[in-house]
This record gives sequence, structure tokens and C-alpha cells, in this order.
Amino acid sequence: MNPPAFSVRDLGVTFATRRGPVTALSGIDLDLHPGTVHVVIGESGSGKSVLAHALLDLLPRNVTLRGSRHLGAEDLAAADARRWREVRARHLAFIPQSPMSALNPVRRVGPLLVELARARGVARSAAWPAVAAALRSVDLDPERIRSSYPHHLSGGMAQRVVTSLALVGSPQVVIADEPTSGLDADLIDRTAGHLANLAERGAALLVITHDLTLAQRLGGTTSVLYASQLLERRHTGALFDSPAHPYVVALLDARPERGGRPIPGMPPELTALPGHCVFAARCTRVRAECRREVPALHPLDDGGVRCVLHAGVQQGVG
Amino acid sequence: MTTLAPAPPRFARLREVATRPTSVLIAGGVLAALVLAALGADLLRPADGIALDRVLAPPSLEHPFGTDETGRDVLALSLRAMRVSFAISLLAASVALLIGVTIGVLAGTLGGWVDGLLMRIVDFFGSQNHFLFAILLVVLFRPVLGAAAAVCLSVGLSHWLVLARIVRGELLSLRERPFVAAAVGGGASRARLVVRHFLPHLGPSVAVAMVLLLPHAIFHESALSFLGLGLPPHQASLGNLIAAGQRSMLAGAWWISVFPGLLILAACVAFGTLGEYWRDRHQPRWRGELEL
Repeated sequence: MNPPAFSVRDLGVTFATRRGPVTALSGIDLDLHPGTVHVVIGESGSGKSVLAHALLDLLPRNVTLRGSRHLGAEDLAAADARRWREVRARHLAFIPQSPMSALNPVRRVGPLLVELARARGVARSAAWPAVAAALRSVDLDPERIRSSYPHHLSGGMAQRVVTSLALVGSPQVVIADEPTSGLDADLIDRTAGHLANLAERGAALLVITHDLTLAQRLGGTTSVLYASQLLERRHTGALFDSPAHPYVVALLDARPERGGRPIPGMPPELTALPGHCVFAARCTRVRAECRREVPALHPLDDGGVRCVLHAGVQQGVG
Repeated sequence: MTTLAPAPPRFARLREVATRPTSVLIAGGVLAALVLAALGADLLRPADGIALDRVLAPPSLEHPFGTDETGRDVLALSLRAMRVSFAISLLAASVALLIGVTIGVLAGTLGGWVDGLLMRIVDFFGSQNHFLFAILLVVLFRPVLGAAAAVCLSVGLSHWLVLARIVRGELLSLRERPFVAAAVGGGASRARLVVRHFLPHLGPSVAVAMVLLLPHAIFHESALSFLGLGLPPHQASLGNLIAAGQRSMLAGAWWISVFPGLLILAACVAFGTLGEYWRDRHQPRWRGELEL
């Protein structure tokens, strides 16, 4: 496999708050390879969006960040604000959550997109053609979009506009934060298609979502986050067919088509994470050793799972 | 079945205007008349110079505002003075705008100790009597910059506080909007954020504040000129005329001071009425904040 375009090692994010430190992410490793899709799923508060923002260095000031981030071979620990701006502009494309509010309501969409293309290093004369091509590839009429204000757009159009941001100037890494929230089924399908196109064009795509259907459609690799930790990472198909971690099993069974059985209990408070498996309190297969320490990410043949049940096992269990 | 929306009736715009409150219509008419009269002063009422055979003539058909102690027509003087007053106050309000927006943007964008420091400065000046402050500034600037620039600067420097507060407040809320994170995620620098994303948002609030600032500036300029701290007599503003008229007041010639005073009153009330109406239409939530 190609060397990763972006990689993260042992990433940890802690927010200093009045009620004490809140652990939003801990011990995350992530490799984004060119031309592949990596989906991160998890429920609200599991740290998904923080992960996207941590990759882009868009976290607020009260955050302590541990671990390393590499763009290609470059260690971004050494990057100053100027370099980060350049990295965000040229190398990482960010598809923000809730597209309607991500577009400045008092600016016409055309000039806004042209500005972004310019920031990506597209020449002034080539900027609008590049933007127009990107808009066409998400089935929008460039001339109509050009002079529109965001409030002229429907939710689906706004979503496609921000998706097209990732197509301008072919950035190496595309990070999409909940690209389908608030869209209906038809639009989710189209967005999934547009995102899949991005990976086909050679971008390393990271999609953050709580939409399991979207994850399944996108394929690639899926990581499951729960209470700041990575619990399972597998090929997407294998994860959905034969989840290994009890949490993922329960999560998939909670889907309406699988009976809609809710997982009893609540996720742990991020201010007071247990010093052992974060899912132990809700797990039906809990053992004494689950409450001893945080389990390691045990390797499976197509990924890994953070569960003592799989210690030493090289095969996913159904 | 689809039906076309009916074509807008002719003169719809005019009818819409006519539904506004009578006070607003009157204010608009008065203001338009005053501005036109000020601009067209030379056509309407050519300056007729000194004429010692008709000194201190009371208002008559020939001289509706009477004449002054050198026989000059007070109407002709007043129209010219009004032009000066309008120009100076527009400049002064622009100075206030420039300073207020700059300070507000700095405080709102940089935040932290910069914000704290700038806002304490605003509080400090806000707690002083701003007219006394304006007088102090005029006295400081006059010898260096000349009278007109000194007046503009002093009125500007004593009136930017409200603008700075409004702009900072707007920015504090703008900063947290998702499109800012999106822009930064797209690689926007701080300067680009301010110019391309923040400033376009400030338009309406700043415009409303400006319109409300204008009558205030007219009033302040006149007050400074009345005290002899404003413009020199050969560039007389309305305030100068009122001050000059005082001397003749005891001789019974009330018209030299009263008519320019009425013009100031009319202009301020008209501007204020329109500005408040506009503010309430566009930004009803600022009713309380913008009492200048």
C-alpha cells in the first residue's frame, strides 16, 4: 500500500474545563492512504468531530493535544500557525458539518469558492474554471450557483457546494465531518457517490459520521469510536458482517432493521473515564479482567479490536 | 395548476413609502429640503454681501430671516452655514466610524488581553463627559491641524465608543459561527477572515449607528462653534451664526440666532426620526443599545 498521506500516532485530546479535564480522544492511531476511504463512526460525544478538528489543528485554546500528526513525511509538531494555514489551505480539504451554516450568509457562493481555490494555489485565471468543473461534477449549474447567496440554496445544494470544495485543486487529504447530517435518503446516496469519487481520484478520504448506512456504502476501512477510544477497526464490509467488539455488535443490533435493541445504560462521563475497558459497564460479556486495565488494541487479520475477548485470537468472531 | 404571481402594481414602491408613519414622511421631506437647500445655496439665495443701509432688519418678505448687524441676509448665511455643518459632521462621523470599527474589530478578533485592554479604554472614555473631552481635543488639535480638522477629529474621537462596542459585540457572536471554522479549515488567515467574512456582516449595524451619529455630530459641531472653539467666522457653521447673533440679541434682533438654531433643530430631529425608524425596521433588537 502507498505510504499514508496523513498519519496520526497516539493522538490524545483533553479539554480543560471548570469541571475538570474532559478526555475527548485517547490513544488514536490513524493512517490515511491515498485513494482509500476511512470511515469513523461513533455516537454523539464519542470524539468523532474532535478527531476531525484535531487533524486540522482547529481546536480551541483550552485543549491539550498529545501524540503526533504527520503530513506525508513532515512532522506537524514543528508547524507554526503560518505552516498550518498552508497545510489546511493546500493539503487538507475540510468538508464541514451543517453546510448551510458553514457558508457565510452575506457572501455570494461564487467568489467564496474562487477564494478557496486561490488559497489552494490555483492561479487566478484558472480559479473559476476549476470551481465550475467541481460544481458540475456534483451536478450543480455553476452559472446559477456563482451569483447565489447561501439562502438561495436548498439544503441539498448547500451540501453539494461544500462537497465540491474538496474537488478544487485536488487536495491530498479530504476530511468530511458528518457530510450527510440533515439530508434525506436520496441525497445521502448522492453524497456518498460524490465522496467515493474523491477517493477514486486519489484523495485520502476520512469520513466522520454516525450514519451506519453511509459507512456501509462507502466501504474502505471503518473505525469505531466510543468514549474517546478506538474500539474496533476493520474492513468496512467485515465489520458490518462480523463485528468483533461487543459494543459494535450491540451497536449494529440497535439498528432498526436488526430489531432496534437499544444498548442499556449510558456511555461513561468523559470527565471520569474508567481506568479499564470503557464499555465494561454496559457489556453483556464482561469478565473480571475487563475491569483491570484498558485493553490493548489486539490485532485481527484485517484490523484490530480493543477487547480482552480477542486477546491472542487472530480471527473475527460473529 | 400554476398561476403566475400578479405583476407588481405600478407605483408600488411609492405606495409602500406612503404607508410609512406620517412623522417619517415629514422628516424625510424636511431632510431632503434641507440638504437640497444647503447644496443649492448659491442658486437659491446668492450671497449679497455687506449693506450698511439695512443693518438688523427684522424678517420681511425680502429677507425672510432678517439681516445681521452688517446688513447681510441671514437666510443666505444660514444656508451656507448649514452646508458647512453637514460637511463637517459627515467627516466627523466618518472619523468615528473608522476608529470605532478598527477598535471593535481588533478587540473582537484578537480577544484575550487586547480585548480587555481596549474595552477598558472604551469604558474609561465612556465614563467621562464626552463633550468636555471633545473640547479638550479641539484645544489640543487646533494649533496643529487648523480649525476644521480639529473639529472633525475631536467630534470623531469622542464618538467612536458606541461603534466600537457594537462592532465588538457583533464579532463575538460572528466568531462562533460555523462558517468561520469552515473558512479557517479552508486555510483562511485572520486578516482574510476579518476582511472577507466579518466586515460584510457589520454593514447593517454600522450603517444604522452612522445614521444615528450624524445628527449628534451636527449638534456637537454647532456647540463647539458656538463656544468659539469651532470654525473661523469666514467658514461659519450654524453654531458660529448663533454665537454671532448673541451680540444683537440684547438689541432685540432675535432672528440672527433663532433661525440658524431652528435649522439645527430641524436637521437633528429629521435625521434622528429617520435613523430611529430605520434602526427599528432593520435591527429591532438594538433599541436599547443605540441611544447615543
